[in-house]
Amino acid sequence: MKQIQVKLSKDQFQKLFLSAVGFIVLVYVYFSFFLGPLSSSRDSALAQIDDLQGKVADSKSELTKTAKLEKQAETATTRFAALKALSPEGAPIAWFPPRIKTFFANQDIDKATARLESNSAYKEADLASWTRYGWVIELPQADFSTLGRAIAALENGEPLLSITRINIKALSEDPQSQQVTLTASTAMVKR
Amino acid sequence: MALHLNLLHEEIREQRQRQRDPLKIGMMVLGALGALMLLYYLWNAYKVLEIRNRLGQAQHDWAKVEPKVTAAQKRSAELNGIISTTKVLDGMIDGRFFWAPFLEKLSRCVALNAQLTGIDGTVQDDGRISVSIDGLAAGREPRAAAEELRQLLLEQLGQSYREVKVEFKALEDLDTIVNIGGSNQSMARFGLNAIFSTSSAKSSPTPGPRTRNR
Repeated sequence: MKQIQVKLSKDQFQKLFLSAVGFIVLVYVYFSFFLGPLSSSRDSALAQIDDLQGKVADSKSELTKTAKLEKQAETATTRFAALKALSPEGAPIAWFPPRIKTFFANQDIDKATARLESNSAYKEADLASWTRYGWVIELPQADFSTLGRAIAALENGEPLLSITRINIKALSEDPQSQQVTLTASTAMVKR
Repeated sequence: MALHLNLLHEEIREQRQRQRDPLKIGMMVLGALGALMLLYYLWNAYKVLEIRNRLGQAQHDWAKVEPKVTAAQKRSAELNGIISTTKVLDGMIDGRFFWAPFLEKLSRCVALNAQLTGIDGTVQDDGRISVSIDGLAAGREPRAAAEELRQLLLEQLGQSYREVKVEFKALEDLDTIVNIGGSNQSMARFGLNAIFSTSSAKSSPTPGPRTRNR
C-alpha cells in the first residue's frame, strides 16, 4: 500500500486551521440562528395545529353531548322551573305570610299567622342559589278534621315546605277546637 | 540527451502552491457547504410556511367553532346544575314526613271514651319522628281505655312506619267523674310517647294535585 505523505508548510497549516474554524463557525451560525429557530417555529406550529385540531374534534363531541343532555334534561328543566316558580319575586317575608293566611282561610281556618323564625344557606353545593327559611305558623282555632285536611293540602300543594314540628292543644273554652302551632321550613330561590 | 532547462520553475511552483492553497480550498468547500445549507434552509422555510398556512386554517376553523363550543359548555354546566339541584330538591321533597296521614291514623285510634288534649310532634335530625300525646280516658277501667288507645296506636302506626314504639310517660287516675251516655265513669289522665322511623317505609302523602308527572 502506498503511503501518501502530504507535507504542509506552517503557512498552509495556519490556513487549514483557519478554514476548520470557519467551518465550525458556519455550522454553529447555521444551526443556532437559522435552522434552530426555523425548527422550533415549525414544532410550535405543529403543536398548535394538533392542539386546535384536537379542540375542534372535541368541540364536535361537546356539541353532540350538549344536544343530548338538553333532551335528557327536559324533564328536570321543566321540574326545576316549576319549583323555582314556587318562589315569587320579592322578599319571602313579604309574600309568604299572606299566602299562608289566604291558604288556611280557603281551608276554613281563620286568623292564621306566619312569622319568619330563621333563614340560612344550604350546606349542599347544588343548593347554593337556594335559602332555607324557617317559619312558625300559628292557627289559634281549628277543628281537628279541618286541620288534617288543611295540612294534607298544604303538604301536597307546597312541595318545598316541610313541617318539622306540630303542636296541637285543645282549647279549654271550646273542646271542639284546637290551637295549633306548625314549625315549617321552606326552600326558596335567592332573589 | 538534450539539456532541458526549466527557467519558469519558480513561477510554476508558485502557481501550484496557489492552486493547493488550503485556505482557498477551504473557502470553496465552505462555499459549497454554505450553498447546500442555504438550499436546505430554504426548503425547510418553505415547509414551515406551508405549516403556518395550515395553522392559519386551523385557527380560522377554531375561531368559527369556539363561540358555539363555549356556549355549549356553559349550557352543559347549567343543565348539569339544574339536574343535580332538581335531584337534591326531589330528595328533600320525597324525604319529608307527611303529618296529615299520621293525624288521620291518630284520629282513628281515639275512641269515644278518650280525648286528646295535646299533641306535640317533632321530626328529629336523624329522621325519626317523636310525638308526645296527652289526653284523658274515661270508663269503668280508665287505665284500660288508655292502654287500648296505646295498643291501637301501636298497631296503626306499625302498618305504615318502622321501629314504632308507643309508651306511656304518665298514667294517673283522676278524682273527676264524667257522665258518658248516662253513666258515671271515672277518668284517667295519660301521656304517651310515640317514636317511629320513616326511613324504610315512607308514609305516602294524602293524594292530591301535583305539579310533576313522575
